[in-house]
Amino acid sequence: MAKKEIKAALIYSFATKKTSTAAKLIKDNLKELTLKEIDAESINANDLEAFDLLIVGAATWFDGELPTFWDEQIPALEDINLKGKRVALFGIGNQVDYPEHFGDSIGLLADVFTSTGAAIIGPTSTEGYTFEDSKSVKNNQFVGLMLDFENQHNLNESRIKSWCNQIKKEV
Amino acid sequence: MAYIRRNDKSFGIKQTPKETLEKWYYLMALGRTLDERAPNYLKQAIGWSYHAPYAGHDGIQLAIGQIFEKNIDHLFPYYRDMLTAISAGMTGEEIILNGISKATDPSSGGRHMSNHFAKPEWNVHNVSSCTGNHTQQASGVGRAFKRYNHKGVVISSQGESSVSEGYVYEAINGASNEELPVIFVFQDNGYGISVPKKDQTANRKAANNFLGFKNLQVFHCNGKDVFDSMNTMSEAKKWVIENQKPAIVHASCVRIHSHSNSDRHELYRDKGELEYVQAADPLAKYRRMLVNYGRFTEDELNAIDEKVKQEVKAAHKAALAAPDPDPKSIYDFLFPDAYAAGKFGNGVHTETGTPVKLIEALNTTLKEEFRSNPDTFIWGQDMANKDKGGIFNVSKGLQQEFGPERVFNGPIAEDYILGTANGMSRYSDKLRLVVEGAEFADYFWPAMEQFVDSAHDYWRSNGKFSPNITIRLASGGYIGGGLYHSQNIESALASIPGVRIVYPSFADDAAGLLRTSIRSKGITVFMEPKALYNSPKAATVVPDGFEVPFGKARIRRQGTDLSIITYGNTTHMSIDAAERLEKEFGYKVEVVDIRSLVPLDKETIIASVKKTSKALIVHEDKVFAGFGGELAAIVAEEAFTYLDGPVMRVGATNTPVGFNRILEAAILPNEQKIFDAALSLIKY
Repeated sequence: MAKKEIKAALIYSFATKKTSTAAKLIKDNLKELTLKEIDAESINANDLEAFDLLIVGAATWFDGELPTFWDEQIPALEDINLKGKRVALFGIGNQVDYPEHFGDSIGLLADVFTSTGAAIIGPTSTEGYTFEDSKSVKNNQFVGLMLDFENQHNLNESRIKSWCNQIKKEV
Repeated sequence: MAYIRRNDKSFGIKQTPKETLEKWYYLMALGRTLDERAPNYLKQAIGWSYHAPYAGHDGIQLAIGQIFEKNIDHLFPYYRDMLTAISAGMTGEEIILNGISKATDPSSGGRHMSNHFAKPEWNVHNVSSCTGNHTQQASGVGRAFKRYNHKGVVISSQGESSVSEGYVYEAINGASNEELPVIFVFQDNGYGISVPKKDQTANRKAANNFLGFKNLQVFHCNGKDVFDSMNTMSEAKKWVIENQKPAIVHASCVRIHSHSNSDRHELYRDKGELEYVQAADPLAKYRRMLVNYGRFTEDELNAIDEKVKQEVKAAHKAALAAPDPDPKSIYDFLFPDAYAAGKFGNGVHTETGTPVKLIEALNTTLKEEFRSNPDTFIWGQDMANKDKGGIFNVSKGLQQEFGPERVFNGPIAEDYILGTANGMSRYSDKLRLVVEGAEFADYFWPAMEQFVDSAHDYWRSNGKFSPNITIRLASGGYIGGGLYHSQNIESALASIPGVRIVYPSFADDAAGLLRTSIRSKGITVFMEPKALYNSPKAATVVPDGFEVPFGKARIRRQGTDLSIITYGNTTHMSIDAAERLEKEFGYKVEVVDIRSLVPLDKETIIASVKKTSKALIVHEDKVFAGFGGELAAIVAEEAFTYLDGPVMRVGATNTPVGFNRILEAAILPNEQKIFDAALSLIKY
């Protein structure tokens, strides 16, 4: 595909460690796309309407919450119009210590972006994970890519690669 | 569940009016300023030695206070609820007065621990440090709401770790079963002091342990977020009022600081974790949102901050100048007013007629009191099922006459039985509550934490709240009941200040003391010697409306050679022994039935000893550490110069009471043992 066809953004907090690491690997695997990197901690929600594809990453905080900086953005995000746009989500969770809320964050974000009219792309299988519940599971699959740095660090690269290939196909 | 946009909810950064946002910011800034200043008072040795910082709980605490309506709702805050109290209406000065324990502290006049914020006159209750036990009291208020058709909610607040306490489960089980309008708020900051919540219960969110409870709605919210907390608490309140059923609100919070100023969280939390929770600071988040969404300018917020600063400065100055508690006041508010039982003088009579059994006297008195006062209630285990009325049928016929709203069964949960009595008392001072505290007195132990707590209430609240409860307990042995069915517990109960204890031996005294107990403010433990319920020896004439005041002993037999000071079952044995001593040896033995252990009629005891110069203390309970030790010490201290012999005691052996009758007889006192001791002391 030609780079100029899709206007895409990669949004995550630059201050994070795990999410940033994942974002870097995603970028490396999506060289076909021109990704504008946006720091999630200083988003202007209205600016997002200019993109065709948003690749959004967020860790899950505490027992199933969005990071504070994301949570603060929700009222702004709800009022933008992303109809016809696509959103791909990657999340960071810990299935051993937080099995009841494993990677909830991208499920929460999926609801918000869906409410703006965007289509969520890049669902993945829950196979290979052991947890009790997750807001990120919809229709028996994760709404996006799920990474567990604490317990399945060695699977991150292959999962990212596979997901990026899926994204390429979907876009 | 369909996604509900935050912008479509009742409260949100875009839709909430500016004046409301401003009020919230002011309250949060005021609270946080006080929260951060509190440790300085300890560092300067002014006070506030216990401070549990609330930073990280800001959203839920603001919301609890905001949905609370003074004098309509009831609120039970816990020790970390500083912002809850401020949001409910308490001023900065009142918070500091509590913190530094001044006489004008509205919570307790400096009597209760700091950081226990209350305003009983608004129904912001003064609660125990026994954290979470107010859940039972909240259920009790909820029951009163139902009985009096009151439209409001009871809000109970606690940390998630104290949910591990069994009494919390009892409270929520009761609220679920009785369908009580109570919101139980769990403020989850992940720690019980240093203990992480994974060591408390299997579910990460303790509220989920209750998902199987019928009639109960469980809500979850982000307690760090003002809007989510406001929306959830408002929704919970609406649901509870509409459905007249209980709810739990589980609020996810963080604890930014140590548990309290005696805790050092750096011993168990690493730097990364501390940065993590700091990043979730609810006040900082709220402030950012106010600015980022254009609702306030930095200058506007700075102006509020400055106003708060000046206000706290003035509050500090005023609180420091406030009077300290007077050491002479320590005996104030130990007991509220007892009913002035004067109709029969000191509780004696000369009426003749047909004797009635002790059990009938109790039953009749209960019915008479329930007829004359519609604000009386009675409950306990085995209280009311068709013809069964109490484990020994003392309350037979009450439910038939007064209905299930006033006479009802309690669960097998002694603590809940008593805890809800405490709570019902908080609804109105006019209520008079009678509980069968346990099936048998020695099953009362599970209720001890509510007992101890209730004993503190009047004193702890500086006279602002008194639980008005008669705790009936079928006590003692001589029935072949063994452990948990035949033992005496009054000596343990008497060691706790703030409760009256009476222990009648005869039907007339039982009737008179029960009447006085039910009509009085405060807590009275009413011990019923169950072996005497149907005993002809305990049967007496009971005059109509007979009254016995507290703290008045009754001389059941006059004498000059020896005073036997006794109560309960052993009163009769002592009288029998005295009669034998006169018959066989001509000795005249006086028998003083103290009837009331607390307050105690020392005057009658001393006067008797003065007359006889010999004192034998007799009771059914163990001699070792029994109440007789106190009686003996009083005689020794205050009547020593009148004594012609040692103060001696007769009572049970220092063992449990055995089930086999042979063992029971070897353990408990009897007429012969009293006779022998009395004879020995007379001859001394």
